[in-house]
Amino acid sequence: MAQTLYNNGRTDQVLVEETGSVRTFILNRPKKLNALSLQMISQLTELFYANEEDSNVKMIILKGHGRAFCAGGDVSPIFHNARQGNWKFGANFLQKEYTLNYVMATYSKPQVSILNGIVMGGGAGASIHGRFRVATEKSVFAMPETAMGYFPDVGASYFLSRLPGFVGEYAGLTGSRLDGADMLASGLATHFVSSDKLPLLEQALVKVDTSDPDAISAIISHFSHIPKLKEESHYHRMKIINRCFSRRTIEEIIFTLESEASDKKDNWISSTIQLLKKASPTSLKISLRLIREGRLQGVGSCLVRESRIAYHMLRGEFTKDCFEGFGAILIDKDRNPKVCYIHLNMDNTELRFREPLPFIYSSFTYFQWEPSSLELISDDDVDRYFSKIDDEDWEDLKLPPRSNLPPYAIAKL
Amino acid sequence: MEKVNFRIKVLSRHLNQETSTPKFTLESFPCLSYKPPELSEPSAVFDIKEMRKLVDGHNLEDREWLFGLMLQSNLFNPMERGGKVFVSPDHSQSKEQQREITMRRIEYLLEHGVFKKWFTGEGPENELRKLAFSDCIGVFDHSLGIKLGVHLTLWGGAIQFFGTKRHHDKWLKATEEYVVKGCFAMTELGHGSNVRGIETVTTYDSSTGEFVINTPCESAQKYWIGGAANHATHTVVFSQLIIEGKNQGVHAFICQIRDENGDICPNIRIADCGHKIGLNGVDNGRIWFDNVRVPRENLLNSVADVSPDGKYLTAIKDPDQRFAAFLAPLTSGRVTIAVSAIYSAKVGLATAIRYSLTRRAFSVTPNGPEILLLDYPSHQRRLLPLLAKTYAMSFAVNYLKKIYVNRTPEMNKVIHVVSSAFKAIASWHNMRTLQECREACGGQGLKTENRVGPLKGEFDVQSTFEGDNNVLMQQVSKALFGEYVAAKRSKKPIKGLGLEHMNASCPIVPSQLTSHTMRQAQFQNDIFCLRERDLLERFAAEVALCQAQGKSREYAFTLNYQLAEDLGRAYSDRAVLHTFLEAEASVTSAPLKNVLDLVRSMYTLVTLEEDAAFLRYGYLSTDNAAMVRKEVANLCGELRPHALSLVSSFGLPDAFLGPIAFNWVEANAWSSEQN
Repeated sequence: MAQTLYNNGRTDQVLVEETGSVRTFILNRPKKLNALSLQMISQLTELFYANEEDSNVKMIILKGHGRAFCAGGDVSPIFHNARQGNWKFGANFLQKEYTLNYVMATYSKPQVSILNGIVMGGGAGASIHGRFRVATEKSVFAMPETAMGYFPDVGASYFLSRLPGFVGEYAGLTGSRLDGADMLASGLATHFVSSDKLPLLEQALVKVDTSDPDAISAIISHFSHIPKLKEESHYHRMKIINRCFSRRTIEEIIFTLESEASDKKDNWISSTIQLLKKASPTSLKISLRLIREGRLQGVGSCLVRESRIAYHMLRGEFTKDCFEGFGAILIDKDRNPKVCYIHLNMDNTELRFREPLPFIYSSFTYFQWEPSSLELISDDDVDRYFSKIDDEDWEDLKLPPRSNLPPYAIAKL
Repeated sequence: MEKVNFRIKVLSRHLNQETSTPKFTLESFPCLSYKPPELSEPSAVFDIKEMRKLVDGHNLEDREWLFGLMLQSNLFNPMERGGKVFVSPDHSQSKEQQREITMRRIEYLLEHGVFKKWFTGEGPENELRKLAFSDCIGVFDHSLGIKLGVHLTLWGGAIQFFGTKRHHDKWLKATEEYVVKGCFAMTELGHGSNVRGIETVTTYDSSTGEFVINTPCESAQKYWIGGAANHATHTVVFSQLIIEGKNQGVHAFICQIRDENGDICPNIRIADCGHKIGLNGVDNGRIWFDNVRVPRENLLNSVADVSPDGKYLTAIKDPDQRFAAFLAPLTSGRVTIAVSAIYSAKVGLATAIRYSLTRRAFSVTPNGPEILLLDYPSHQRRLLPLLAKTYAMSFAVNYLKKIYVNRTPEMNKVIHVVSSAFKAIASWHNMRTLQECREACGGQGLKTENRVGPLKGEFDVQSTFEGDNNVLMQQVSKALFGEYVAAKRSKKPIKGLGLEHMNASCPIVPSQLTSHTMRQAQFQNDIFCLRERDLLERFAAEVALCQAQGKSREYAFTLNYQLAEDLGRAYSDRAVLHTFLEAEASVTSAPLKNVLDLVRSMYTLVTLEEDAAFLRYGYLSTDNAAMVRKEVANLCGELRPHALSLVSSFGLPDAFLGPIAFNWVEANAWSSEQN
């Protein structure tokens, strides 16, 4: 087995394995749950480009080292800078990340992501756009940004809006956790493989000498099975989700959930309402509109729209909610929090990690959002976030031209 | 659950970016590969979002929500072609199936709150939201739009406008919640556009306090009543009202036609209108009333009432005015028809133009590459003028919406005239555009799933329902005549209907047209005003002449139908141009203004080229007509680079166009056949 391990001469944050015509990229920052640093993003982008041109390469595998696939973007430097008025640092970071998302979404060779652990925020952006997503019993998916005064970016308005019914609104607005079985049921994952079978799967995959998606799918299917959905799975509540999260506005969504709750006592409904009430009102309104617009647009324009909102948020012109959200969590006095929580809602469990995390969602933190309630935010207020940045020295996100643009990537608006 | 699974399969395939790798490769010639126009065309020189805002006009977010709502349900028949999901009604279903699915779609929209506050909400904003929703619904399926229109606009509108508080309280909430399903029984076998001639008869029985509605003969059977054949539980019946032996003219009554179980009520007979050339999702039926008794309170009594002891009471003594008041709900119908015609034309044009930017045919040099369809000047001439007209009429129908939602009783006449004119020209324009687009797509235009062809059948009805287009145009001319004569008689300046230009001196059209002149808004306005003014004067003179010869005014109108038609056109075109100029004036962005300038010039000049009236009456010399024709060709070339951006600005989601508008090679690939 001709395997070479190299680190691209710069860093060991992304490891590369070459086996035959398959390249495996390993996110290697386990102590930070593989949160994407600027370095990792740049390195991945280069790797993806280089291997697209290399005709010897037929397939890419992306996985994480440790208990996470990838817990998101490493946002602490972004908000550290933004708080000091340097919004462009974060804006540059995000431009690079969104460009990587776009390259993955329009990649001409199949990408197989092995999601054996946490997949959140930027981690979803680095995998869901790819052709195959393999979930396991250890997978934990969430887009928890609204609870932090931010919004689901990295192309989430594209992929969330294409989930069945109104699961996209549900997942994107509440930040609810989905497990591997949920991911498969909703189409976020294409396959489910028990984690003990992963080594065998990878052995089989690296022998692949084709880019034919049907052939690759057949190999993964050989190791996969349909897992049983948990009692508390969102999948058993599709009717309620469709009835409530299809509503025109956030206010109506909450109102409909509340009337459902008054009809019958259900922990799932009440915790869903709680999540919405705890989230930043600004984030909720922006995210709902993003998902609704994203449903009708290509992945490229979704990313461009998201980037504009991100810039506005980093500039802190209209709201500083994300400073509040991320700041409270991220920037501890010594910037090295000892005890951290990932808030895994739905069943109110909290996983405790010993290591400092790139970001932490606390189930018991209530933030002071500003504006503080939904009715204080008009449609025109939301409009402002979708506008181009008024700054002569700043250009809109320019996505790279792609030679093999698939139909779904093209947007008209 | 099965449906959910299917949906997931469709979606995950969609998400999964099925790149079909052929099992055996066809040799790849460059001409065989599909290149998305987004990559091959120059990028937009104006902000597409801004343009969309201008063209759609209002409630953009509501529109996106509703489009998404349809996209996320299997009821809207999602299908995957070439890696994208498309939704469109399945026209291969039987008419019974189409009616059933249309009703289920309505139930879905109802459950999701689309009709909330339809009647119980108030104000122009509420009305604009409703109009935005019907725009989007019409883009998916005309049957769905009409089935809703019958229930909400016609039945609900009749109760709202003809009824009084007791009717509103009893029926409106039940209507927006679909507790009752209403229909609108006006047209009869023997009488359509001439409503005043209907033969259904209603008398009053003071001993029981009931009205008795009767169909006295076969030609009095109610015909084309949407919703009647299968679903409606109630109807508004239009009938002559005979009180104490005197005919008080046409009145409207509420009558139940089906019971809670859906069974037809006693003394009511209902038959189907049968299969139609389109719109088979609407259950058009025929109704006979066999001395059906309804309570006195069922008379919609906003303009006239009958006392319990059988006395006719009305505030409007003039039967003409009383009748005009009855026609108010038809105005809202005409507003939605005009608007939906333009949205249908947009679907056709977006599809045909996108296709013409990716499909090649023939080369002009030996062994040279084949040429894109839209690079042929002839193909540009077929599609781009229609695109310009569609833009112009978008602004026109937006204006119509605006005056409609802000209406006051004083504006009734204006709204009647504008809605009649725009309904007629927009529906004609749509039919013509669809035919051209279907032909421009070649054989692909025949394929049902590509949408353009079936739209012809679906929208054809627009030229005759809610007033035959020709009749409406005659009414426009008559109204102009009325204004003109009244102003002359009172020796006051003419006011209203945009005719104020007739008070100024007659515009002079230069005898030698130049390209520069022809593109000036001033010239464009002048020549349109000149035509309208001259035709109105001629029409008035001819009618006066006939009258002097002892003929009745109505007969004089009839004899001068040619001038009346030309005048109706002249009025409509000039009114459209004014709305275009008004829309342009609201734009601040220079690139947007520039392209709108081109579009407006195209709209005006192609109208000058096509309407023989300009030559017939000498507004254009033959030399100038030749100049105009040349300029149209120039404009085609100048608009060509903007073609994609202009259709993208229509804001139609990809899923609502035909697959032929996107990767038609992959959509037709063998591997797609295997999935």
